Amino acid sequence: MNQPGNNQGWGIEERLSILLKPVTPDPAFIHSLKARLNRTPELMLETSRKQINLLTVALGLVTGALLLWLIRRFKA
Amino acid sequence: MKKTQPVIELAVSEENAVRLASQGNAEAFTYIYEQNVTRIYNYIYYRIGSEADAEDLTARVFHRAFGHINSYVEKGVPFSAWLYRIAHNLTANWHRDNHRRKEVSLEEQYDIPLHEDMPELTLEKSQEKETLLKAIRRLPPARQQLILLKFLEDLSNGEIAVIMKRTEGAIKSLYHRSLISLREELNQINEQNKNLND
Repeated sequence: MNQPGNNQGWGIEERLSILLKPVTPDPAFIHSLKARLNRTPELMLETSRKQINLLTVALGLVTGALLLWLIRRFKA
Repeated sequence: MKKTQPVIELAVSEENAVRLASQGNAEAFTYIYEQNVTRIYNYIYYRIGSEADAEDLTARVFHRAFGHINSYVEKGVPFSAWLYRIAHNLTANWHRDNHRRKEVSLEEQYDIPLHEDMPELTLEKSQEKETLLKAIRRLPPARQQLILLKFLEDLSNGEIAVIMKRTEGAIKSLYHRSLISLREELNQINEQNKNLND
């Protein structure tokens, strides 16, 4: 089997270098996506989602502790 | 020929931009976006070959990245490596969902500049590119990713190793295997074309 680096291998590397050229995306797309990203407050949503999760866990813990305290009190 | 700014060179300024972006700085978002949008688009475009889908997936990459920027942990790895991983995963999902999609002629999709004075040369180059891209798309996803990052983005084995989460040695070895597979695929395609013409 031929190894890359011999004539055929280099041939492929040369072809890849010549034929794989970066393309320029449509400037209208670039501009509109930038505008959409700036408009979308994804980061804020992410932050508030985290805060809501924390708040839910904290509320659950407090409710659980309160229930335990009430049960103990009734038993006593 | 210099294509895009190498990934590692961007690391220092990107680090600051990512920190600022995670604090909600709009300019930092814009900076990260502008530095990376063309390279991510190119990567996706060459993986899937459709301009409309490449735009859609590029948008999804940036929405996902900016939506989860708080969960990005800075480990000395460029932010662009994270973007490439998102792009790679979304592209894999796209291929999974569209594997039965009718293939559109690559000749129609890839814009090769026309030389009015040399139409035969242009056609020859176009056909050569079509065959090459067909062969690349037949390779396993990791090999496609490696070839595109190397030749389209001009990245070194070290930079590719960071993006693909492998060692530099592993990348070197994978690169050699990829070239061998690519040559085999090209031979197969040429053989098929020859049989069709006979």
